[in-house]
Amino acid sequence: MHLGIVKMIGRRILIALPILGVVSVLLFVVLRLLPVDPAAMSMAPNATLEEIAAKRIEMGLDRSLPEQYAIWIGRVLQGDFGTSSHFRRPVIGLVVETLPQTIELVALGIVVATVLGLAGGLWMFHVRGTYQEPVVDFGSTLLMSIPEFLWALFFILLFGVALELLPFVGRLSATYSRPNATGFLLFDALAVGRIDIFLDALRHMVLPALALGIAFAPSIMRVLRSSLLDVYHEDYIHQARLRGIPERTLLTRHALKNAILPTLSLMGVQFGFMFGGTLLVEVIYSYPGMGNLMVDAVRNADLPIIQAVGLTYAAIVLVINTVVDALYLVLNPKLRAAA
Amino acid sequence: MSLLVARGLTVSATIAGKTVQALRELDFALAPGRMMGLVGESGAGKSMIGRTIAQVLPPGFRVSGGSLTFDGRDLVTMDARSRRDLLGKDIAFIPQEPLSALNPVFTIGQQIDEHLARLGVCDRGERRERALAMFDAVHLPHGADLLTKYPHQLSGGMCQRVLIAMAFASRPRLVVADEPTTALDVTIQARIVQLIREMQEKSGTAVVFITHDLKLAAQICDEILVLYAGRPVERGPARTVFASPTHPYTRCLQLANPNLSGPRRALHSLPEQMPGLLGQLALDGCRFAPRCPLVEDACRRAEPPTVVTGADHAAACLRAASTASIAAPAIGTVPAGTGSGGPLVTVDAVTKRYALGGGFLSSRRHFDAVKGVSLAIARNEFVGVVGESGSGKSTLAKLIVGLETPTAGSIVMGGRDVTDGSRLARQARLDTVQMVFQDPQSALNPRRRVASIVTQAMEAGARATTWDERLARARELLREIGLPPETATRYPSQLSGGQRQRVNIARALCTTPKVLVADEIVSGLDVSVQAQLLNLLLRLRDEFGFSMLFISHDLSVVRYLCSRVLVMWRGEVVETGPTETVFANPQHPYTRMLLAAVPPDDPAAAWNPLDEVERLTA
Repeated sequence: MHLGIVKMIGRRILIALPILGVVSVLLFVVLRLLPVDPAAMSMAPNATLEEIAAKRIEMGLDRSLPEQYAIWIGRVLQGDFGTSSHFRRPVIGLVVETLPQTIELVALGIVVATVLGLAGGLWMFHVRGTYQEPVVDFGSTLLMSIPEFLWALFFILLFGVALELLPFVGRLSATYSRPNATGFLLFDALAVGRIDIFLDALRHMVLPALALGIAFAPSIMRVLRSSLLDVYHEDYIHQARLRGIPERTLLTRHALKNAILPTLSLMGVQFGFMFGGTLLVEVIYSYPGMGNLMVDAVRNADLPIIQAVGLTYAAIVLVINTVVDALYLVLNPKLRAAA
Repeated sequence: MSLLVARGLTVSATIAGKTVQALRELDFALAPGRMMGLVGESGAGKSMIGRTIAQVLPPGFRVSGGSLTFDGRDLVTMDARSRRDLLGKDIAFIPQEPLSALNPVFTIGQQIDEHLARLGVCDRGERRERALAMFDAVHLPHGADLLTKYPHQLSGGMCQRVLIAMAFASRPRLVVADEPTTALDVTIQARIVQLIREMQEKSGTAVVFITHDLKLAAQICDEILVLYAGRPVERGPARTVFASPTHPYTRCLQLANPNLSGPRRALHSLPEQMPGLLGQLALDGCRFAPRCPLVEDACRRAEPPTVVTGADHAAACLRAASTASIAAPAIGTVPAGTGSGGPLVTVDAVTKRYALGGGFLSSRRHFDAVKGVSLAIARNEFVGVVGESGSGKSTLAKLIVGLETPTAGSIVMGGRDVTDGSRLARQARLDTVQMVFQDPQSALNPRRRVASIVTQAMEAGARATTWDERLARARELLREIGLPPETATRYPSQLSGGQRQRVNIARALCTTPKVLVADEIVSGLDVSVQAQLLNLLLRLRDEFGFSMLFISHDLSVVRYLCSRVLVMWRGEVVETGPTETVFANPQHPYTRMLLAAVPPDDPAAAWNPLDEVERLTA
């Protein structure tokens, strides 16, 4: 790997640690300000006031806020996120179960968004100046104004209920039991050689991934189209054309590799948001991922889960940004030299 | 038989419902192996010819009349596929901006490889061998290293060599070079131009050399075609056209350029500017008539026919016989500044050091952009600073006006050192210097009207000014710089390049500074507009009295304007003295190289810029 990329990743990790620190403080303080008593939440409904008071002391809730934070963050650093007051299970186990599901879903969503976005952008660029342009433009604006949860509902009605093409509830059909190894279902199914499980899991993911992807594709299309338009004004495109290079090669080889750079930075920002998008989409499809876990936790004021999931989201966004920036360096020789 | 032939070639477009002609009734015939110079100012239609040859016209433009044939085949009616087969193989192009003409995300090797593959060199190893041989031919050393480099890692001159190598790779029959040296330093220009000439002779290629520089065209081309507002106004053998131009425009163009040798003569400045595409519609007769010093009534009635004025020499002018009567008188040397009262600005041993990268775990490196420079500017004195890009000229300007802080040394104005950053130092500086920036396009705020731009300095003063006061001052300034009063309410985008640069100068003059610092303020302008501005600066000095530090890469402009000159090289002043003395008898090898890089005033004289380069690098 190029030295500049290693350096960049090193710098990113150095910055990521204080950012996660600030996020943890915010999460902790904001949740403590809520009128929710974690001690009462963690006990059976018939507990007496004395028992709750004793629990408060046991949980350290009688101490000052900085002290409480220090205790919490100390445990978090050892991998102990506490116990869910609702599920009565260690939070870390819940996160480890659900995170791979969500990562798989978002990964598929990213693939959908990228493929649709790039293809759509190329198409929009291709029809520039023709009678099709306003039509395509209208279409992309329409797509952009529909949020992912609306797509999710629409796909259920169309592909699930009306056409009965694809399942729209859960992660796997009831007839299968999930193989357990890494927690990444698609990967595990292949690892144990069960193509049928793999395909079934994939079929369950198609609709939620499509809903996520299609919501994010239009902005990728538009940015790609406009950066292609910019690139086509550059001298090197003109000069390549004067060397007799065919239009198709100009687009796919000379222009696209330059136009992809601004598109890539947009995609970095968007894919961070896509994790946020999983909250509603997972609930709609009863998909057992982290988004669903989070919504449940909010509903039950399950503070340890909210804290853990919040921190995980922050970490994921940082990782995605780092990956995108590294890709950016790989594709842009000018920045690589400066790194 | 001729290789490239234009017969009555006309290129039109429809703008605002009117049909305009970007090229009109163009006739020429270029024989194989010959070099034709296409000369004209921006907007004359020079580049349109290159675009017509490749049929990549801007949207809305089309060939509406006449023909353009290459080797007997009509380039206009030819189908796209056959034309593309010619491009890059039989017809090649050398661009104006070498740095932006190479794709930034591919290495030089990848781009050459693609081109050679298209030319039909199938074997990868063979393509590499060919690429290395091409680098040798254009005198690029370390070819193998170069293949792995990206364009931004090379200088403009190196990129241009790569592009020249690619253009000549197929031994094309025709090369179109569109201002191939305009974006490069003078010393590089000389080498690039000679390289094109050398490659052309080696492969027997015909070259269309597009340039705004009549002197350069006369020096290197076989024949010249002068364009004005889309119309060919004069054509003939290069030396003849330069020695005895028969169209008044050619003559005026020649006289608008200051000379570097012989007695200093006045610049002939043409009034106004070349009409744009829409402006031409208002002209019934000769398009040059509104600016022509020889104009008579007949010129305005109908377009003049092309008349033969000598062997292979023709001009589209009714008064061609009188053209020689247009003359610019010799004038004395530039008056020196007045020594009374001591210098206005004294720069003493100033150094500006920049840190380069380094930092954590790696040793810090640094670079001295300006190294121990001293100079003094007297009252009413115009001091020239010359040197190539990277010589530290612009950094020096920024240090003087306070946009950069020197690492060492002092700058004294109004009796105090102004480098300490105090409020009083700032005031002393404001009272003394004003800067005129290079590019008026970006130096003028596009959202403000001219009146508010030129009086911007009145916002900063301690004294409150009313809008009426500012408007009055703006009108005064516009009158002084020769712009009509209604310009006050315009936005910069509504002005021409020359007008914008006048506004830029007016803004600096608003608070009547004692010293103007002008960084390449005429370099982006056409010759006739440049002449107007140079004369304006001299007139303003006579009227109001101010000094100027005039930074330029153009030695002849500095000779016309400045009584004293500093030659900068790698951050240091290597030679200084009265302009006439330094240019007539240069002492430092770098000064000699700069002077040798300029095409001689007499095209028949030998031009050997490379000898001086070798002497300096030896």
